[in-house]
Amino acid sequence: MRLDRELACQEVVELVTAYLDHALSPADRERFEEHLVFCDGCSTYLDQMRETIAATGRVQLEALPPGLEARLLEAFRGWRTA
Amino acid sequence: MEEQLLSREDTRLVEGLRAGDEAAFKELMRLYGPAMLRVARMYVSSRAVAEDVVQDAWVGVLRGIGRFEGRSSLKTWLFRIVANTAKTRGMREARSIPFSALAGEDEAAVDPDRFLGADERFPGHWAVPPEGRVLAAEALDVIERAIERLPPAQRTVITLRDIQGLSAEEVRNALDLTETNQRVLLHRARSKVRSALEEYMR
Amino acid sequence: MIAYKFLQAGAVGPFTGFRWPVGEWVEAAGVDPCLQGVHACRVRDLPFWLGRELWEIELAGAVVEQNRKLVAERGRLTQRIEAWDEGVAQEFGRFCARRTRRRVGFLPVLSGFVADVERFGAQRRIAIAGFAAARAAELRDGPAAYEEERRAQAAWLAERLGLGDGGADNARA
Repeated sequence: MRLDRELACQEVVELVTAYLDHALSPADRERFEEHLVFCDGCSTYLDQMRETIAATGRVQLEALPPGLEARLLEAFRGWRTA
Repeated sequence: MEEQLLSREDTRLVEGLRAGDEAAFKELMRLYGPAMLRVARMYVSSRAVAEDVVQDAWVGVLRGIGRFEGRSSLKTWLFRIVANTAKTRGMREARSIPFSALAGEDEAAVDPDRFLGADERFPGHWAVPPEGRVLAAEALDVIERAIERLPPAQRTVITLRDIQGLSAEEVRNALDLTETNQRVLLHRARSKVRSALEEYMR
Repeated sequence: MIAYKFLQAGAVGPFTGFRWPVGEWVEAAGVDPCLQGVHACRVRDLPFWLGRELWEIELAGAVVEQNRKLVAERGRLTQRIEAWDEGVAQEFGRFCARRTRRRVGFLPVLSGFVADVERFGAQRRIAIAGFAAARAAELRDGPAAYEEERRAQAAWLAERLGLGDGGADNARA
């Protein structure tokens, strides 16, 4: 991804996911971090994104619908006795 | 790194399933069942069809479990079977699913109104910067609701990456997505969830 | 080789959260395997990385020069540069404001930057004060002026903090 020397905040927020995945090129990563040094808004944004990801990690998915699980169990029982 | 892919837990589950152990079945469904449904839902038009897909995929899992060698993680393998089953089913409903349809609308991570315009001294910089933390103990249902509202593909990727903890590569392998496409979906999903939290904290 | 490093309070890395031990060699892989090395500043890089604490750092192994920093295999914090403190940071802010006033203070539209730089300084947001000063220079006189402003900032820091080789390094920049 080719970027201008100066990253504006509006571009920085689009790069956050790639940054956290260590997927930015060294040059882009440098521009990104350089921006964070002086921009409180974007530093906060990055912190908020980290918090969001951590919180999402604590979500417990709703269990499978019981009807579906019962059908899967039936298939399992059928398979193991076959 | 290759040899470590099948964790002890995965190994126990696989051996349990092969032995016909119902406790292993229950554990597998607890750990991965809901995400399997989400993966299916990414490719088909309704929840009901997604359930059928999971059922079909499960038959495939049982047929393949004897041969499963652990070259990928158990999760990746499971989700890939579901994705492939769903895609086949989905293709009977529509010819194919272009990425643009999967990914949802092209939206900015943050409302453009939050930034200064082109004629300002600092164009593109924050006009209304984010402040403070987005975290609250009761925020989990805000997150869940935000995820529920996502387009299916975004919902699936954030589920697999951030809830189930798959790596970027595992998700790419399971869903047969390019690295870029996987990241775009994740990016849009996370941006919406963060916005929902920010809104809630205000 | 000797270089410099800005860290957060407690010698903590601003992007990794890594707590640097003083006087001990740190291997890049030990910090974060995804990082390509220990990051450090040449004198001319200082204005871009301003932080709470300034340290002198010794680098060893292969050292790569990037656009705005050095990346090394190993690094060791040798001493804290105590001269860099809140007071000097404020002085730096005022330095940037003076230069901005001289360059654009009399111009319509761009003169707005003077108040920006002064306000950032008053808010103790020194890094963005420096950025705004360089941006004002660029808008008046082009991209070369941005670099020139940053060099002037680096030179000021080097002299004010008594950093070695500042002149020679800046001449090469």
